[in-house]
Amino acid sequence: MNLNIFFQQLINGISLGGVYALMAVGFGIIFNVLKFSNFSHGGVVAICAYLGYFLATRVAGSLWITLLATTLLGGVVGVLVEKLVFRPIRIKGRPLTYFFVNSITVAMLVQQFFSALWGYDYYPYPEFIKKTALHIGRLVVSKTYLMMLFISALVLLGLTLFLRKTKQGIAIRAASSDIWTPSLMGINTDFIISITFFIAGVLAGITGYFLGMTYTVTPFIGSFILKGIIAAIVGGMGSLTGGGIAGVLLGVVESLLIAELGAAVTPIVIYAGIIILLLVRPQGIAGKLYTIKA
Amino acid sequence: MLVVENLTVCYGGITALDNVSITIPDGKIVGLVGANGAGKSTTINTISGMVIPSGGNVKLDGESLLIPPQEIVKKGIVQVPEGRRIFPSITVQENLILGAYTLKGGEKVEENMQRMFELFPVLGERKNQDGGTLSGGEQQMLAIARALMSDPRILLLDEPSLGLAPKLVLEIFNMIQELNNRGLTILLVEQNAQKALNISDYAYVLETGRIVAEGEGKRIAEDPIVKKAYLGIEE
Ligand SMILES: Nc1ncnc2c1ncn2[C@@H]1O[C@H](COP(=O)(O)OP(=O)(O)OP(=O)(O)O)[C@@H](O)[C@H]1O
Ligand SMILES: [Mg+2]
Repeated sequence: MNLNIFFQQLINGISLGGVYALMAVGFGIIFNVLKFSNFSHGGVVAICAYLGYFLATRVAGSLWITLLATTLLGGVVGVLVEKLVFRPIRIKGRPLTYFFVNSITVAMLVQQFFSALWGYDYYPYPEFIKKTALHIGRLVVSKTYLMMLFISALVLLGLTLFLRKTKQGIAIRAASSDIWTPSLMGINTDFIISITFFIAGVLAGITGYFLGMTYTVTPFIGSFILKGIIAAIVGGMGSLTGGGIAGVLLGVVESLLIAELGAAVTPIVIYAGIIILLLVRPQGIAGKLYTIKA
Repeated sequence: MLVVENLTVCYGGITALDNVSITIPDGKIVGLVGANGAGKSTTINTISGMVIPSGGNVKLDGESLLIPPQEIVKKGIVQVPEGRRIFPSITVQENLILGAYTLKGGEKVEENMQRMFELFPVLGERKNQDGGTLSGGEQQMLAIARALMSDPRILLLDEPSLGLAPKLVLEIFNMIQELNNRGLTILLVEQNAQKALNISDYAYVLETGRIVAEGEGKRIAEDPIVKKAYLGIEE
């Protein structure tokens, strides 16, 4: 691989990794608070990919407006999923298996729904950003990728600030170790959970839009969530920062390996590497354990 | 005045509280003692709205308190739960910020936080440390400080001396009296009965969900029958 290709793949990898990071964080934030693997996140991503397509082709011609609208609608869809699917079993105090099964069911339902409705057509997003690439020295960088990278970074930074600086954000972090006690502080846990699903939905919205833009929209676009889940696990479940970093790493490693080894071998190398990493460090990159002292 | 009226609580088939009535007058320390499983935490959790009773009522100044837990905090009734339950993965300072969740305005929060650091200097020294890194005694102080952050009227303390060294137990009990002297009304649940009764203005003895004795704290503490039968204290 010559140096130019290396840097190009590096930049592509970082920006693809940014999308993986968004997914890892969206998946991880629900896991943190409610302790179940939320596969319905992939369903929300798929819904948003179609929503973004619909908005961009039928409603408005602006990237920023349609991206923003998709993002906010994603948040709303996230909250709706929680209210319709998870809240009822939460109120009844059902075991985590119910949540897990329900989340998979939602993902499948969305996939089957879009398959039945529009399964045989491809839905390419309009070209908002001219394919003309940016030339930096001898490097050729796709403008779309740069834009994606910039927005992913901005959103993750904004989320970090929210989680650190607002009392609702701190409450979300507190709820991740104990969902029962915040009520004793006058915190409405139901509302905190809604905010969490809104955040996950917003991240799913951006993810869906970016994936739709990068690839074409198909009913199976939600299965990209696997990359996010892998990043979340590798990063260390419970650590959003770890998940974000692992997402970027995954994107970079993937892009570089594809350039070097080809698209067929790359997944084998990556999955084998992940199994080894988790054998050596089962808590992931940034996993941490706390104890309550008696 | 906080009044618990003929409270009955069932968990599934088990009756945890059976017709329990307790009165907590303003400005007093009321003790609630009893053995493991007597229903002390259940009483406190029902007052806090965490447990829904199957009969009876909880009233604050005559007004029914059967409302969600977050609304009860807004009425000025705050619990320090059994086993502290501080948040381990956020900092001491952030734990305190959550204690003040119901307050409006950052200035008040900041002011209360400074007051807590004066009351518990060790918390000030450790304000940027994660809660989970504190020692057991420090975690208990954090739990009490967190509850005080919202300027409560009535503090419900569930076994604040649990697992603490004797010297620290004394400190915590002195602190409880000091808070009461400053006007805070307190319901003190303890298995460490002797000490709790000594600082209680009035006390109740709970046995398997029923009140079996009540009276002035010191009198209950000295009543040989109560001592022997319910508190496991032999002369
Ligand atoms: N969530 C619950 N589900 C079922 N039973 C419960 C539950 N919580 C408490 N109990 C039962 O209710 C009874 C009273 O429990 P509670 O926790 O109120 O006792 P306690 O006086 O606080 O005891 P301790 O001193 O050990 O804390 C016990 O028999 C207990 O097993
Ligand atoms: Mg108890």
